[in-house]
Amino acid sequence: MKKFSLQLRLIIFFILISGTVFLTAGIMSWYEGREKLDEFFDTYQILMARKLSSLDWQHINAESQSKIDKLIKDLDDDGEEEDDALGFAVFTHEGKMIFHDGNEGKDFHFNHNASGFENQKIGKDKEPWRIFWIESIDKQYIIAIGQEIDFREDAAFDLVEDTLLPWAAGLTILLIAAVYMVSREFRPVKKIAYELRHRDSNDLSAIDNDNMPTEIKPMVWALNNLFIKIAETLKRERSFISDSAHELRSPLTALKVQLEVAELAGDDIKTRNEALQKLCLGIERASRLVEQLLELSRLEAYEKDTSNFKDLNWEEIIQEAITTQQNAASNQNINIKYISKEKFCIKKGSPLLWSLLLRNLLDNAIRYSPYGAEIKVTMDKTSLSVYNSGVTIAEEIIPRLKERFFRPPGQSRNGSGLGLSIVERIARLHNCNVELKNENNGFLVTIHSI
Amino acid sequence: MRILLIEDDQLIGDGLNIGLEKLGFSVDWFQNGLDGREALLQAPYDAVILDLGLPGIDGLSILKEWRMQGKKEPVLILTARGDVDQKIIGLESGADDYLAKPFALAEVAARIKALIRRNNNTLTPTIEHGNIIFNQHNRTVKLNGQEVILSPKELMVLELLLNNKNKVLSKETIENKIYSWDEEVSSNAVEVHIHHLRKKLGKNIIKTINKIGYMLGEA
Repeated sequence: MKKFSLQLRLIIFFILISGTVFLTAGIMSWYEGREKLDEFFDTYQILMARKLSSLDWQHINAESQSKIDKLIKDLDDDGEEEDDALGFAVFTHEGKMIFHDGNEGKDFHFNHNASGFENQKIGKDKEPWRIFWIESIDKQYIIAIGQEIDFREDAAFDLVEDTLLPWAAGLTILLIAAVYMVSREFRPVKKIAYELRHRDSNDLSAIDNDNMPTEIKPMVWALNNLFIKIAETLKRERSFISDSAHELRSPLTALKVQLEVAELAGDDIKTRNEALQKLCLGIERASRLVEQLLELSRLEAYEKDTSNFKDLNWEEIIQEAITTQQNAASNQNINIKYISKEKFCIKKGSPLLWSLLLRNLLDNAIRYSPYGAEIKVTMDKTSLSVYNSGVTIAEEIIPRLKERFFRPPGQSRNGSGLGLSIVERIARLHNCNVELKNENNGFLVTIHSI
Repeated sequence: MRILLIEDDQLIGDGLNIGLEKLGFSVDWFQNGLDGREALLQAPYDAVILDLGLPGIDGLSILKEWRMQGKKEPVLILTARGDVDQKIIGLESGADDYLAKPFALAEVAARIKALIRRNNNTLTPTIEHGNIIFNQHNRTVKLNGQEVILSPKELMVLELLLNNKNKVLSKETIENKIYSWDEEVSSNAVEVHIHHLRKKLGKNIIKTINKIGYMLGEA
């Protein structure tokens, strides 16, 4: 049943209900009708019997004969009643039939014990009859008056038929009205379905919810909310892609131009070698940008799924991150110092993401510190920080540092402008925030647990 | 031809600087918008290459300021975004041409040459003077149909004189037009170039106007 449409189910339900109502009404009026008719016909039979019993059957003269004839006529041609609906016979106490109505009455079997009603099967066809027995007033004769039971049933059936006809008409109207109402009330749902089916995949505008029935409103509301969320995600993705494409233009231009310089250099070996060196640098820069773009796009998609979070071993994560950056630091004569005050209170998380975060912070510190600077990594109960000496950043620029692709003006070191976006995203995935500030003639990045 | 290049990207700026020098321009390269803006007011440039995405002050503001101050040097803008909007705004702000990244060095050079040519009202890339044909496109000089090999600086001096017929150019003007700030210039450099040009193209090619400077000789 579930696989049928709601509409069809409602209609089938209506048909079944009205069918049942109709049937129940029919059966009930049949039984009621039968009972009432039986009572009626019985009374009529008794009345007729009384009339017959009052006649003087011993001396049938012209006067009584005409009375009998009139009675017979009454019985036979009683207007709407069917012919031969009633029959009668007159017996002696010994069971000899002395008179009958000329039709079925002649087939009545005498039953001398009988008094009141009795059912008999009459004639060749063994038709069931209901017969009333009564003694004549002069007590000389016994009179039987009977009626065919089929006739009674036919009458009852006619009665039921007459009663049910308006019922049937009413139910039909009800059913049509119900089908119409159901399909009319389902129109908004159909409208939404039609709208959604014919919608352009880029069209994420809200469905008009003002004229929807109360039952449908929450669904449309939820759908519209989903549209808004999808639109936001799409917008983010699109701006990410367009930003990325934009950011890739510069390194590509650099590669192209430097390659052309190398070609132009011809015999000028010094210029050519320098251009080739810069070409290598440009390729490194482009690769780093692509790598960070991928990291960030993976992080954007990374849902806050704590199920794959593991226990974090902070000593190991920090030591390892420092070790991987040691080489780059030594080249700049930079010393990385690690101060562990207390264990950082974030206990569960992704060790991979945290080492990515630390690597980015250390990479930034090394990249933008002067030769011989000092880097300090400090772990405390509620924070994790990386400090580098020798460089401060203009206060008005600090708030913009976390923006994607933002690079401070006058930057000679190459970088993608994505490092801090990556740091920020990872911190947020672990319910932490990132604080940036100048301190002690240097720059300090602190990850605070919230 | 002296070009002012304002581009903050280290590798692109460096490539354009060296590449354009190789192609016969003298280039002054500034990575900072504010310095670049001042430079145009201090030296005679034939054209400017201006990156729009500059730190500090953005390229469009610089361009608008120059035009307000009446500077008419042709400007080629470099945009990182291929947006039509930015191109239109650039052109409406007074730029003469634009290139979207990623571009090729050769294209930058070709566009700069075209801009300078248009600025000098010479629509064909060749300048004829008597029996001399100077091809600005491939930077060759023919004397009576025979190609004469000139050094890049000699070509620049010749081109300068050809573009300023009937004008006397001082030694300083010539110096400023053919040398960028980072080049070391000996005190008699211009005289040496003039001397070489006369040797290669004939004595009458350049007239010396005493105590004032030089001008192109009669055809």
